[in-house]
Amino acid sequence: MSLYLKLISGSLRSRMQYKMNFLVSSISYGLIMAVDFVLLAAILQRFNDVKGWNLYEVGLLYGISSVAITLYRVFGVEIHNFERYMVEGDFDSLLIRPVSPLSLLLTKNLDLSRIGGTIQGILILAISIFGLNLKNFELFLLVLYLPISIISGVAICFSLGLLTATIAFWTQRIKDFQTFTLYAPFNAANYPMNIYPSWLKLIFFTVIPVGFMNYTPILFLLDKGGSLWNLALPPAVATIFLFLALRFWQFGIRHYHSTGS
Amino acid sequence: MIVADQLNKHFKIYETKKGFIGSFASLLSTKHHIVKAVNDISFTIEKGEFVGYIGPNGAGKSTTIKMLSGILHPTNGRIEVGGISPQKRRKEVAKKIGIVFGQRTQLWWDLPLRDSFDILKEMYKVPDAKYQRFLKLYDDMLQIGKFMDTPVRKLSLGQRMRGDLAAAMIHDPDILFLDEPTIGLDVNAKTSIRAFLKELNTNEKKTILLTTHDMDDIEQLCSRVIVINHGQIVLDGTLEELRKNIGLPSLMEIQYREKPDVSEVKLTGIEKMKWEDEKLVILYDRSVLSSPSLLQNVTQWGEPLDIQMKEPDIEEVIQKIY
Repeated sequence: MSLYLKLISGSLRSRMQYKMNFLVSSISYGLIMAVDFVLLAAILQRFNDVKGWNLYEVGLLYGISSVAITLYRVFGVEIHNFERYMVEGDFDSLLIRPVSPLSLLLTKNLDLSRIGGTIQGILILAISIFGLNLKNFELFLLVLYLPISIISGVAICFSLGLLTATIAFWTQRIKDFQTFTLYAPFNAANYPMNIYPSWLKLIFFTVIPVGFMNYTPILFLLDKGGSLWNLALPPAVATIFLFLALRFWQFGIRHYHSTGS
Repeated sequence: MIVADQLNKHFKIYETKKGFIGSFASLLSTKHHIVKAVNDISFTIEKGEFVGYIGPNGAGKSTTIKMLSGILHPTNGRIEVGGISPQKRRKEVAKKIGIVFGQRTQLWWDLPLRDSFDILKEMYKVPDAKYQRFLKLYDDMLQIGKFMDTPVRKLSLGQRMRGDLAAAMIHDPDILFLDEPTIGLDVNAKTSIRAFLKELNTNEKKTILLTTHDMDDIEQLCSRVIVINHGQIVLDGTLEELRKNIGLPSLMEIQYREKPDVSEVKLTGIEKMKWEDEKLVILYDRSVLSSPSLLQNVTQWGEPLDIQMKEPDIEEVIQKIY
């Protein structure tokens, strides 16, 4: 634990050496996210609802999905930018330590500029909850469940990020894959899954299981269908998926090629 | 201490293409050729040995070191470092070895040197008392105290290398892997690093495996030399045996106005003489035949336009001999 704190504090101090860069990137990223949601709200205002989901209900889905992916971007920044380790051969220096390379990666850097997105996501969640005017019991259940949903979402996002990063052991480059495994699915998860054709739904509930983190539990919590199982599924799916991602990562390390001297 | 038994590392080189479609296609494609970076290498290094591991670029030196330290998995063959397989129990091996890559620092780039040491101390769980002794000892040996609070990125190459060496020793490992630790350094820095390594080996009985391009490193430090070329060991013996085999010759290149006939020339000390295009290349042993006397001879054979002399370069010599 004290090693973890030392590493984290080291990476933070490294970051602080470039203050301007940090400020500019936080502000610009926060702005992009804000514009993004204003657009969504504008569209929803016009159409009132999306296949039976009103603005506040979609806001819940949107908030969970964006908090999950931005938290991953804050803590998993080195996983996300993993191809650098392959292309420049920096992965060597992680493998000479008596600590797992994954923990070294996770402590190497925090991308605090993404925190703006997390805060914005939490704001959207808060606004949506107020806007929904729920009865006491439903409200209680929803607020209680949100952290579980978010943690499951972060785990699913992290697993997807790790699976994609692992591909780099063979292909070196992964930036192109991330569009398909991370950006697009998490964008899609901002909206209710029932708007998608069945083949897409199939993908979002199997190989890229983003549907489980928000749609599945919110469906039940807002009394739109499903059973209590809908609440058990997100953490269960996240755990299994995380386990698989870690196994695949271990398998990938054995195939690490390194670079010439 | 270190055992490599019939070690092989083959790389499959796939053709890669650009873009998403391209990288996806190369993921599925089976078009490849196999490069045998390390081809059936076996050696045993005993405790306290100082071994020079040399060969031309791409001979497989780094690949071997990366396998010994657990970074790469061999295609087949067996490795033991301190009695443990680095492939099966990498973390345990990591505690027994110290590694320095001359080309790439292991220190935290933006932090003061002291912070890197602090982090490593925590990582290797070095007790406080031992750590304080370490700082004292290594300040004496490498004079790192002066720049302990300077961010690593602001250190000179020589200082950084001393910092890297100290960082590799923080957990007091028995085995050291050094991959070109003197590369790019000036003479003074090289001398101080060599003195340090010598001391580690003789006083502290550390087992050291060193790769280098610098013949002086080998001459001043190594009791044993392993030469590899094209992934295979071509010589494993003492420095004297290396000298006997390849002579470590100096090199002289002469361009004449008219090509003289040198086929009849017999001069003790000349090891090899051949024409490379318009240039006559002579490999000679400086300890037998001095450069001035060779120069004298050379000018008698014809009228030279240009003469160049080169100091022994391991790569060139090995490629010429094998």
